Amino acid sequence: MNKAALYITAASTVSHQPTFGNPGFSSTLGPIVADNALISPDYKAYIDPGLLRRMSKILRMAVACSKDCIAQAEIEQPDAIVVGTGLGCLHDTEKFLNTSLTVDGLLPPTSFIQSTHNTMAGQISLSIGNHGYNMTHTQNTLSFEHALLDASMLLREGDRHVLVGAADEHIDILEDIAAQLSFEAPARLTSGASFFVLSKENRGNAAAILTDVHTTGGIENAEAEIDAFLIRNGLNASDVDLVFHAGEPVQGVKGNVPYLPLSGVYATASAFALHYAVDSLQTNASLKNVLICNALRKSNLGLILLQSVEA
Amino acid sequence: MGVCITGIGVVSAIGMSVEENLSALREGKSGIGPLQYLQGTKASLAGEVKASNEDLRKSLNVGTEYVSRTSLLGLQAAREAWGDNKRSGVIRTGIISATSVGGMDRSEVFYKDYLSQNSPDYQVLTTHDSGSTTERIAAELGISGYINTLSTACSSGANAIMLGARLILQGTLDRVLVGGSDALSRFTIDGFRSLMIYDEQWCRPFDESRAGLNLGEGAGFLLLEGEKSLQLTGNRPICNVSGWANAADAYHQTASSPDGKGATLAIENAIRRAGIGLNEVSYVNAHGTGTKNNDHSESVALRNVFGDHIPPFSSTKAFTGHTLAAAGAIEAVFSVLAIQHHLIYPNLNYQDSIAETGLVPATLLETGAEVNAVLSNSFGFGGNNSSLVFTRYE
Repeated sequence: MNKAALYITAASTVSHQPTFGNPGFSSTLGPIVADNALISPDYKAYIDPGLLRRMSKILRMAVACSKDCIAQAEIEQPDAIVVGTGLGCLHDTEKFLNTSLTVDGLLPPTSFIQSTHNTMAGQISLSIGNHGYNMTHTQNTLSFEHALLDASMLLREGDRHVLVGAADEHIDILEDIAAQLSFEAPARLTSGASFFVLSKENRGNAAAILTDVHTTGGIENAEAEIDAFLIRNGLNASDVDLVFHAGEPVQGVKGNVPYLPLSGVYATASAFALHYAVDSLQTNASLKNVLICNALRKSNLGLILLQSVEA
Repeated sequence: MGVCITGIGVVSAIGMSVEENLSALREGKSGIGPLQYLQGTKASLAGEVKASNEDLRKSLNVGTEYVSRTSLLGLQAAREAWGDNKRSGVIRTGIISATSVGGMDRSEVFYKDYLSQNSPDYQVLTTHDSGSTTERIAAELGISGYINTLSTACSSGANAIMLGARLILQGTLDRVLVGGSDALSRFTIDGFRSLMIYDEQWCRPFDESRAGLNLGEGAGFLLLEGEKSLQLTGNRPICNVSGWANAADAYHQTASSPDGKGATLAIENAIRRAGIGLNEVSYVNAHGTGTKNNDHSESVALRNVFGDHIPPFSSTKAFTGHTLAAAGAIEAVFSVLAIQHHLIYPNLNYQDSIAETGLVPATLLETGAEVNAVLSNSFGFGGNNSSLVFTRYE
């Protein structure tokens, strides 16, 4: 399919690694270890203190990354805000669930209000006064890819800049649930948020070209799906310089890097991988085509293809 | 040709199928009443689907017990909308569902057992996340590939329809099953009670004395097809989805702005996208939840857009209750039926107009009306405002 190029003109990540406000981080990161805590920026620089007090971790991360992105891209307003989240605002969900089961009488509504999946996108629009398209995708491990696909479509429909990102938050009960369900995580469970500005034009500030994004649920043959995806973009596996993958490495490409040891495991960790890939493209001139291959959940496949701006 | 609707399915408090819903709408028969199936809530009234999980599992032929009511209701409506259509290697087919709470109806039972250490069944949590409710429906229908879930609170269902239409127009998909599903849960009932907008009486949309909403549950699905798909399936279009828009109100986390900014933008942009004049809108299926705030804000938005020439409008929430993420999809099905059967539905429980706006909804069933274009509004938490326009297939 012949499609116009789309550009990533800003990227911002809060994670268990020194990713926030730290361009070039990709060349210094090692696998996260048990005592790597979430590294929070100075949220007061991004969020009104009154609001900040009531915000859960996921909301803080999402709003701070969004504001950072808008500043980086040097735009006043994005035309749309699109967010992906696998499990949504877990902290407030558990809090309200707990209150509603244990408290008789009048319940405080804040945690209910902040439990809906679209609280992030809503809070971002509120905090920057944005009246554009506002969407939240929640499709398990493919939530971010679906958001990115939606953002790409918006640019093809005429939008100029779309703020797109994803976030998921860790709460303690997840450890217990993972153990009880015998979920064998390939790395520890973590929290993270990554946001981007996707733009129609490169005003000299593009960090990477988003060539294509694709999602498949209920997949039977991942290899065939990856091949078909590369072919529709005029590439062979040998043209791909580097693959960042969750799940199996991709055969026939020049290099494979598993990203879950860097990000930790959460449903939208592929958004971390995108930022990691964008940062790698900027710091390593030998990279041209980079693929993010997300099979964190085996039945779901997410593919994001990037190209260096100079390629 | 645009984007055509070729199949519809619905389950709600007023019926298990399109036919049952349609006859209840014609008869002015509400499904809101005391809860029979959901235990342990403080709500005196709600729009419950009149079937237990076991009934649903049996009639849908779903073997496993690890399935949420949200999935079961979704499957009920999705199967009806899908009808006798076949899987195809040539027609790129997808599914987009919408839900606000996913499998919360089961998770809250787990969590209660978890808190009291009463041997909680962790396996139930595999049905918790919203995405899994759609994956379940997709698996039962044999749809793979593009499977997606949107969750934007009470506008979710409308947004699924909008996204499906866009995917077809962009050539990403040829046909897509779109809709929304939400089951009643103690979580949402307590949530709306905590906001003090849950009416213990029967809700009264657009009435001066309105005091809140009654929650409901259910699902609605529509099969959307583009030109290529229609040529291959030979399906007959029922009508078109021609206009859509989503806009952020950016006013407050839960409340709608008094000037109806987001709603006004959504309505205007959807009608513009449909390419019809304001005077061509035959009927508005309003969001009309019955809360003080929504109905005022929506009235202001209708006035902003239509001035003194507001088309006949009504809210059908006094029939079904507010079904959250399913509402936009259920009401889309009602909008299609309005075009198909030349109907304008009555806004039940209306007596006096809202003092500040003076808008009077349609209160009697109108049959034989010329209904060629219907505007359907869905507004949600986080200032998420969506409008859709359905038009007669020419």
